[in-house]
Amino acid sequence: MHKDRDAALVNDCKRGDRRAMSQLVSQYQRPVYNAAYRILGNMDDAADTTQIVFLKVFEHIADYDSRFKFFSWVYRIAINESLNQIKKRRKQEPLVDSQASPWRGPAEELGSSQLSSRVQGALMLLSEDYRTVVVLKHITGCSYLQISEILQLPEKTVKSRLYSARQLMKKTLQHDEDNGVGLL
Amino acid sequence: MSERNHIDQRIQELLFGSIDGELGAADQHELDKLLASSAEIRDLHEELKAFTGLLDTVPDLEPPKYLKKSIESQVRLPVQSVRHEEKQGFFGTWLPAHWLQTGFAVAAAAVLTIGVYQMGSAPVSPEDANNLAGTIVKSRATAEGELLDSIHIFTDTLNGRVELRNKDDLFSLNVQLDSDGPAQLVVGFAGRGLEFEGISRTQDSKDIVSMVEGSVNVASSGKKRYTINLRSTADAHGQEIAPLELEFFTNHLLVHEAELSISEH
Repeated sequence: MHKDRDAALVNDCKRGDRRAMSQLVSQYQRPVYNAAYRILGNMDDAADTTQIVFLKVFEHIADYDSRFKFFSWVYRIAINESLNQIKKRRKQEPLVDSQASPWRGPAEELGSSQLSSRVQGALMLLSEDYRTVVVLKHITGCSYLQISEILQLPEKTVKSRLYSARQLMKKTLQHDEDNGVGLL
Repeated sequence: MSERNHIDQRIQELLFGSIDGELGAADQHELDKLLASSAEIRDLHEELKAFTGLLDTVPDLEPPKYLKKSIESQVRLPVQSVRHEEKQGFFGTWLPAHWLQTGFAVAAAAVLTIGVYQMGSAPVSPEDANNLAGTIVKSRATAEGELLDSIHIFTDTLNGRVELRNKDDLFSLNVQLDSDGPAQLVVGFAGRGLEFEGISRTQDSKDIVSMVEGSVNVASSGKKRYTINLRSTADAHGQEIAPLELEFFTNHLLVHEAELSISEH
């Protein structure tokens, strides 16, 4: 989150500099992909969403107001696109009761870290509002103020959602712990 | 944890706020007093710290290898605004067709004493190339070698063909265009391990050549043939090179986009 460097790269992009575009993609593809993955719980959807996010970013780069932070703008688009993906998926697939169907994500299937898998499982049990604030706080490392800017919510609401979301996650992970598969 | 549920929400919010580094001085002072007075709150503080630490240490996943290239190959940057800003002080935005047709060479010569630039073997830097707007950057070298790829353009206002040839470390785009009004070809080669070598004319023209980092722009009008030469840099050998990106404009509008594949030689 280097505001000055981002602003310079964005200005270069506005002048058609593809190297600047490439640098911005390098800088943000990882956090955008990870945020999308943690919200969607699916690697393919996360990759598709990441592509859409960057295409939208550069399609509208001329309209971007440099008084605002570039990363806030990128993350806002990333969150909105991820939530749009969930809506699309809901239309295409029958609803599944997530409580009755414990999440088994690709990380677990591939034998990746138990931490990643269990936290993802707990995230997927949260509502989208709660999941979003947890992802922005703990996956992208945003502050309360930054989250409030990205989601365009009062900071108080961010705090309250984070509190509730983390309480729920703690309970889920504690439940796993009680069943011998937990992390706490 | 459940035995601590009676610890009120206010205190838990203070604890989370402190762990997140988001507490103001007054709230932190209030929490410090609470922590000093209650072992139970201290235990909960440690527990929440461990929990949030767990969330903060979830490992990042590596995005798929293809993702960056895929994004970059699809992104279209605002070329029109490039021209506007890059050429301030030179020729402004698109030169009107009559400028290209009449008197352009004289006006260009008045602005640029460089005139027609004879290329040696050294590549042209972006700065050099920008200073050559209004001229043709001549390159003696032309790859007559292997045909790597070619495209045809059939639009209402622009027709033609571009072929990409390679010999040793030289890549040549042989361009034949016939446009109705002012036309522009933008060749994007950023990140491909290529440098702009120059342009050779195969017929008399008053074309405008300019260069923005990683792309060459050639503005022309009517029937034109020219060759754009790009040279592979040493560090590109053995690497997979993404296709060159071509954008064709007539009368300020993007009318065609294409890619030319560069096979490893």
